[in-house]
Amino acid sequence: MAAAGETAAFLKSVKLFREFSDAELLAFAARLKERVFKKGQVLFREGDAGEEMFVVREGTTIISKLVSGRVEQVLARATGGDFFGEMTLFDRSPRSATIQAETDVTLLVLDRDNLNLLIEVNPRAAAAFFHSLVYVFIERLRASGELVAEITRWGLEATGLDMESR
Amino acid sequence: MTESAPRRAKLELLVRRDDDDRSFELREIGSAAAWVKMRPQRVAAEHFELAEVTSRVDRQRSFILKNRQTERFLMLSEPECFLWDRMDGRASVQDIATAYVLRYGTFDFDLIPGLIKKLQRAQLLTLTPASRLRYALSRHRERRLLRAAETAFTALERINVSSRRVQPFFHRLYRWGGLLLFTPGAIVACLLFAAVGTVAGVHLWREADVVAGFGANPVLAILSVKLLFFLTLAAHQLVHGLALIHYGRRVREFGFTFLHGFVPTFYVDITDIFMASRRARVVTAVSGTLVHLVFGAVWFMVALRASSGGFVQAFAAASGMLQWQAFVVALYPFCFVEMDGYHMLVDALGVPTLKHDAIAYVKSLFGGLPAMSGSRRQVGLWIGYIVLSVVSVAAFIAFNIWVIVHAVTT
Repeated sequence: MAAAGETAAFLKSVKLFREFSDAELLAFAARLKERVFKKGQVLFREGDAGEEMFVVREGTTIISKLVSGRVEQVLARATGGDFFGEMTLFDRSPRSATIQAETDVTLLVLDRDNLNLLIEVNPRAAAAFFHSLVYVFIERLRASGELVAEITRWGLEATGLDMESR
Repeated sequence: MTESAPRRAKLELLVRRDDDDRSFELREIGSAAAWVKMRPQRVAAEHFELAEVTSRVDRQRSFILKNRQTERFLMLSEPECFLWDRMDGRASVQDIATAYVLRYGTFDFDLIPGLIKKLQRAQLLTLTPASRLRYALSRHRERRLLRAAETAFTALERINVSSRRVQPFFHRLYRWGGLLLFTPGAIVACLLFAAVGTVAGVHLWREADVVAGFGANPVLAILSVKLLFFLTLAAHQLVHGLALIHYGRRVREFGFTFLHGFVPTFYVDITDIFMASRRARVVTAVSGTLVHLVFGAVWFMVALRASSGGFVQAFAAASGMLQWQAFVVALYPFCFVEMDGYHMLVDALGVPTLKHDAIAYVKSLFGGLPAMSGSRRQVGLWIGYIVLSVVSVAAFIAFNIWVIVHAVTT
């Protein structure tokens, strides 16, 4: 288990915490739990209930969504410094995708209680956290748009549909 | 400055194996790979018209294709018309390209995409389901039962257990004994099996009361005979694959699927054999079917040695009969089914579209469609194929009825 100091040093490189001061990072790092998953292990499945978000400290996870039967579409990969699972934390809805470890991974876990505590105890740090979160959401929204366009292009190419001439 | 070709889109899919969460495979599927599996389906026959025109200058044949609904016309070259004929919703782009190479000996990689675009613009291609049964079901989705049947077929059709990494497996199988199947000794063994099987079959026919053996559960017995026969189809396909290895070609895929959603079948992709000699193609086709000859002979021998009137004798005799019928049907080209014998025939004749053309010709004669033209040799081939196929199928059905009646009454 990494010490709070090491965790704080790592969090400094994470986009989500770039506006935190060193003291805020140290205090926040103490609230995070570390969890290790073996390669291939499913962290959670689409549709599961959830109370936590995760920051990848080491390794790679695959974020996928069920298409049919045993086939899932890979939406993205989360590597060191990336985070996932935050949507459930805010809207309490079931998990929107499945997360599986592509390699051995080490994650930092933030649960709803600790997030609420951050908001109460250190509103400035919480505001900085949400501010960074908005930036990441915008990036992801753009990436989703790109993915939709790519999938549409795939469909057109795979069926040979010539829409330009119609 | 040269403009590079646009990158083809790719999908990354995660495919889980069995029920083990940790076991999965990541596959990148390029749109091009999906495109070659597409089955172009031309519009229904009543929605288009095809007329042949011959240039008075160079006697070149070309065709005018008319969309009767949109009143659009397209000029097709003779090779394009050949491709159009094959766009029946059953042949994939890959199959069509293979047929094209067999017919013309060369291939232009822009031809099929270009034609498909042209046909789509003229609204002459549809994306309706290929199977006529599936098409009929899809037209009656408001009926709950038919909707359920269509859903079931769609689900079954998705079942495809296959692998594209089978070349090392077939190589090993070939080294561990498969190579013996392609020696003169194997031919002698097949002849011996055929002779011994025939003798055993004749004895059974004359002496044994095989039907009695099915006893109180004839349906269960027949189903188990069919199930066992179905498993031997895997052996048939394996031998096809071994033949490819024997001729230094690549086995691209081996698997199991439900054809049209309800016909369970094993398959092996042997398209690479088209790059080999005609002898290699013939050996590949025949070797798979010989599996049924050998299995049938073995079953007849088992039946002859089993106690008379018992279940084992009935089971073995029925299995033997089924295997030998499969052997004949697979090798016999005139039965409207494109099996090994048919492929050998069209290969020898150099007419890869024989069945398709023959049926189209007969339809044009009796269906009130524009008459299909062809040389005397072509018309002779088409009529010969249809007549022989109709007679053969009728004879096959009559023979089976006779066998059942004979077995039940004696």
